[in-house]
Amino acid sequence: MLRMPRARGQARCGLGEGDRVEADELLLLVAGGDQKAFEELYGLVSGPVFGLVRRVVRDPAQSEEVAQEVLLELWRSAAKFDPGRGSAMSWVLTLAHRRAVDRVRSARAAGEREQREALRANQPAFDQVTEEVEAGLEREWVRRCLDRLTVLQRQSVTLAYYEGYTYREVAEQLSLPLGTVKTRMRDGLTRMRECLGGVA
Amino acid sequence: MSLFRREDPHSLAAPYALDALEPPERIRFERHMKDCDRCTAEVRALSEDAVRLAWSTAAPPPAAMRDRVMLAVRTTPQDPAPQGASHASARTRATQLPPHVWGAQPPPRQRRRIPLFVPFATATAAAALVVASLFAVQANRTQDRLTAEQDRSREIAHVLAAPDARAGSGRDGRGRTIGVIASATEGSAVVTLGGYGAPAGGRVHQLWLMRPGAQPRSLGLFASDTPLVATGLGASATSLAVTVEPAGGSPQPTTQPIVQLALKSVGFGE
Repeated sequence: MLRMPRARGQARCGLGEGDRVEADELLLLVAGGDQKAFEELYGLVSGPVFGLVRRVVRDPAQSEEVAQEVLLELWRSAAKFDPGRGSAMSWVLTLAHRRAVDRVRSARAAGEREQREALRANQPAFDQVTEEVEAGLEREWVRRCLDRLTVLQRQSVTLAYYEGYTYREVAEQLSLPLGTVKTRMRDGLTRMRECLGGVA
Repeated sequence: MSLFRREDPHSLAAPYALDALEPPERIRFERHMKDCDRCTAEVRALSEDAVRLAWSTAAPPPAAMRDRVMLAVRTTPQDPAPQGASHASARTRATQLPPHVWGAQPPPRQRRRIPLFVPFATATAAAALVVASLFAVQANRTQDRLTAEQDRSREIAHVLAAPDARAGSGRDGRGRTIGVIASATEGSAVVTLGGYGAPAGGRVHQLWLMRPGAQPRSLGLFASDTPLVATGLGASATSLAVTVEPAGGSPQPTTQPIVQLALKSVGFGE
C-alpha cells in the first residue's frame, strides 16, 4: 500500500487574497496542460467549489458528482479563462454555481425535490456540518452584509443564488411582480458590493 | 421574443448574474449582450458581487473526490483554445473569447464515437469521470492507430460497464501516481500511471499482479501514458505492482517495484 502524503493539493476552505492571485496564475498554467498546477489549483478551489455546490444542490451524492464535473471541466476548459475579465476564483465559482443550479433545477423538474426534502429531514443540517469548518473572515462578512439588506432584497438574492430558483419562481414565492424582484436582486447585489467592498 | 419587447433587457442583468434566468431567457440575454457593452460591463460587476455569496459556503470535499478528479484529469484531453488560436498563449487566447466570458453555455461535450458508452453518462460520478477518460483514449489519435485504440476502448468500456466497477489510486513519495478502475466480478482493471515518464535506455514499465503465495504474473507493458487493460484478475488478487524492465518485458520482475497499489479498495479480496 502506498503512502499518500497530503501536503500538496489538499483541500482548503479559506479564500485569502494570496490564494486568489495564486489561482489566477495556476489556471493559466493549467490552460497549458500543467497537471501539477492543476493539483495545486485543486487545493485552492475544491473547498469553495464543493461548498457552493453542496449549498445549492444539498444532496450529498449529487453535490459530489456536480463538484467533480466542475473540477474536471476546469481542467478541460482552462483555456477559456480570461484574466482580463475577472479573477480565476470568480470564474471557477461562477461555473460551479451554474452547474449546481442546472442540476438542482433538473432535479426539481424530475420531481425529486420532495423525495430529497424527505431524506434531508433525517440528515444533519448542512449548516451544522459547515459550522465545523474553519470559516475565515469572509463567511462572517457575507453573513453580516446579508443581514443588512432589506428582507425582500435578501430573500430575492438568496432564493436565487443559494436555492437555485429563477427570478420568476422567486416572484411567485414572494408574491411580488417580476419587475420588483429584478430590482430587489439588483439592489441587493449592489448593497452587498458596498458592504463587502473593503474585503475584496 | 415578446419578453424584450415589453421590458428593458438591461433589467435582466441581475437575475442573469444570479443564474436566475430560464435557459431560453439566458440565451436571449446573452445574444443581446453581444451588442450591448453596457450590459456586459454591468453583468461582469454583478457577477463578481454574486460570487461573493459563495464565500460563505466553502466546505472540505470528501478526500476520495480528489483521487477521482486527478485520475480523470490524467486521461482527459483539454479542449482546444477557442477560435482555433492554438499557438497563442493562454492569455492571448482568452482575449479572443466571445464578449461574455462567464460562459453561460456549457462547453461542448466530448463527441461520443462509441454509442456503447452512453448509458454510463448518467451513472455514478465515478463512472462519469471514467467515461471522460475513455474519450481521452480515443482523442487525438492518428487514423492508422484508431482501430487498435477503439478495440482497446471497447475492452476498457467492458470493465467500466461492470456494475461493481470502482476507482482507486495511489501516490508515491514523489507525487507520482497509479490509478485503477477495476471490476472484481469481471476480474479486469484499467490501470494508468502518472508522472513516471518513459524509463531511460529503452526500458519499459511492466505491470504485475501480486497474489499471496504465488509468483507475480505479468499483466502487460505500459505504452507511454495510455491506460493498460489487465484481465484475468482472480478474487485472490491482492495488489498491482509496476517495475522497470528491459525492453520487451521480463517473465518475472527483475527489479524492485517502483509503485504498488492494493486492490482491496476496488473490491478484490472481499
